[in-house]
Amino acid sequence: MGSPYQPELIATARDMNEVQKLIDVGVDAITIGHQNYGLRVTGDFSIEEIKAATTYCHQHGVKVYILTNAIFHNDILETIPTYLKELESVKVDGIICGDPSIFMIVSSYDIHIPIIWNPETLATNYETLNYWHQKGISRAILSNELAIDAIKEINEQVSFPVDIQVHGMTCIFQSKRKLVENYYRHIDKSYDRQQVMHITQGKEEDTHYPIFEDVNGTHIMSDADLCMIDHLPLLLDAKIHGLRINGILKSTDYHVEITQLYKEAIDTYLEDPTQFELKKAGFKQRIYNIQPEDRKLGTGFYFKEQIY
Amino acid sequence: MTDIQTQTKPELLAPAGNLEKLKFAIHYGADAVYIGGKQFGLRSKAGNFSYEDMKEGIAFARKYGAKVYVAANIIAHNENLAGAKDYFKKLYEVGIDAVIVADPALIAACKEAAPDLEIHISTQASIANWRTVEFWKNEGIPRVVLAREVSLEEIKEMKEKVDIELEAFIHGAMCISYSGRCVLSNHMTARDANRGGCAQSCRWKYDLFEDGTDGSENISEQSDESYTMSSQDLSMVEHMPDLLAAGVDSLKIEGRMKSIHYVATVVNVYRKIIDTYFEDPDHFEIDPEWVDEIWKAAQRSLTTAFYYNEPTEKDQLFGKPARIPKYDFAGLVLDYDEATQIATIQQRNSFGVGDEVEFFGPNFYHFKQTIEEIWDENGEPIDRAKHAMMITKVKVDQPLKYYDMMRKRK
Repeated sequence: MGSPYQPELIATARDMNEVQKLIDVGVDAITIGHQNYGLRVTGDFSIEEIKAATTYCHQHGVKVYILTNAIFHNDILETIPTYLKELESVKVDGIICGDPSIFMIVSSYDIHIPIIWNPETLATNYETLNYWHQKGISRAILSNELAIDAIKEINEQVSFPVDIQVHGMTCIFQSKRKLVENYYRHIDKSYDRQQVMHITQGKEEDTHYPIFEDVNGTHIMSDADLCMIDHLPLLLDAKIHGLRINGILKSTDYHVEITQLYKEAIDTYLEDPTQFELKKAGFKQRIYNIQPEDRKLGTGFYFKEQIY
Repeated sequence: MTDIQTQTKPELLAPAGNLEKLKFAIHYGADAVYIGGKQFGLRSKAGNFSYEDMKEGIAFARKYGAKVYVAANIIAHNENLAGAKDYFKKLYEVGIDAVIVADPALIAACKEAAPDLEIHISTQASIANWRTVEFWKNEGIPRVVLAREVSLEEIKEMKEKVDIELEAFIHGAMCISYSGRCVLSNHMTARDANRGGCAQSCRWKYDLFEDGTDGSENISEQSDESYTMSSQDLSMVEHMPDLLAAGVDSLKIEGRMKSIHYVATVVNVYRKIIDTYFEDPDHFEIDPEWVDEIWKAAQRSLTTAFYYNEPTEKDQLFGKPARIPKYDFAGLVLDYDEATQIATIQQRNSFGVGDEVEFFGPNFYHFKQTIEEIWDENGEPIDRAKHAMMITKVKVDQPLKYYDMMRKRK
């Protein structure tokens, strides 16, 4: 008999303060990184900060995964081997990658860190993931544009853990171009990359797509925040390994409280599903209580069909 | 440095949305075409080829020594995997030269079902560095289509470091995102962009807001210009020597949804440029006529995208649309009688006596004239050829051949 199913609750962290608070509320793992190598990090961690965070996490039995999932260009190849060597030396628990160059890099430089595959929109079927597993991945983060049945089927058809996002905004667009800065230049207005912004779809004024730029280009985020707290039984019954919370563009207070709620909800369900049923409206209500006014909650594509 | 004197001519690769477009693309000088089958392609609205069409297309291509590739570049979901092996087996059997694939699930299916069918990795896989190129080389892949985000410098380095065929886009419309990394369409219309349903949401109009503690300020309202993310179209027509020097093996034109007129015109220009260059690289100069000709097929302003510098607002479609004269494909030349100087022309768009038209054909053959006399199929003189596909006779100033085309400004 294998060990009993215990999902891993994984949250992004923007700084050391957030790392500590997330650990206090019971997170199982954190993802951190630097925008030079990773996509949409919630805050930049230098290699020294990664070392400090990893040491701290490991002292508390919490795992650390490093975002190195940028679409690499030639220039990155010059510095990434050293970066990965350093990550290996501090024994991070995994690197989150989405560029096939990683397989060549780790073999050429004899680097041994578990690879969590995350090509964002491209992890949509189990044969694809099995292919990457043969190349060396030990785990995968599924695309967000998948229905629950597809997620379950993938989970059944692969022999390694898969992760899904359960809360927070999701990325729906990445361009290498600086599209917001371009627009400001076009309308002859000064641009501040730190300014929080969103776009609305012309005719649909109540839409709210956060948009920002970093060294990897322009990113557009989903109209609604994923919120699967009241549907956790579906995911837990399916024995999905990793449940991810993305705290990007949210306050530390919000992010930590959300993580705490999911921790409580997961523990409640695994201990006593009846209790979960009694409490689930309360969990949802507690999210509504702290949800920013301009951010809707939704279930993404978990229950939505797509045409093509 | 690549020694251009000893370099072999790169392949000119053109889109072919249907059998007729395939024939024009090849007749006008494409070394290879890429088409879509009925499954696994990203252009669900393009004509797409049945196996019968493919066979006919391949037979046509063989006469010219040209190749035919099939794009099977969807990002598959579980339910799309069924039938993939049969599909690749069938493509191999009908004689397709290569498939263009983005999803490793389909690579695996192809390798298993049709091990001798060549696989090219699609631009949808966003290949942007030499280690990734090397990865695919190690996987036994002979050719990769590069991400549109790579510069000529980066391509050079890839070519120096990895012995593999590199294919790069030289002309046509572009995603403004990394191809494959955009699901705007999925989220805004429930149409899956990566399975052929793209609603081109990037080209829509948006309002941009700055968010503050006291609410949001609509920045777009302060300008005449909505926030948009629409890229100009790529064109390397004036920069071919640089692409050739970078070592690109296959020069790709975008546009399986584009018209016959577009495909024939664009292929004709690039064929001419490549051939002229290789005749005498040292004395190669851009002929302004080639550039003028490209504009006759252009639908948007043109840019060199990422090849030299990162694109700015000048490479996006802001402001009023550029005024680009539009041309119609007015007629297809079926035959020409040297003795009478009368051409048999199949009508493709209305034309009539007094119209200024331009005839053109492969090898950059061109002449303009005013139409003076038209006869219908029964030899009766007519003023206008109004009926779609009607057969007409037209008196012309210079010799013509089958497959030559007549265009008319709109």
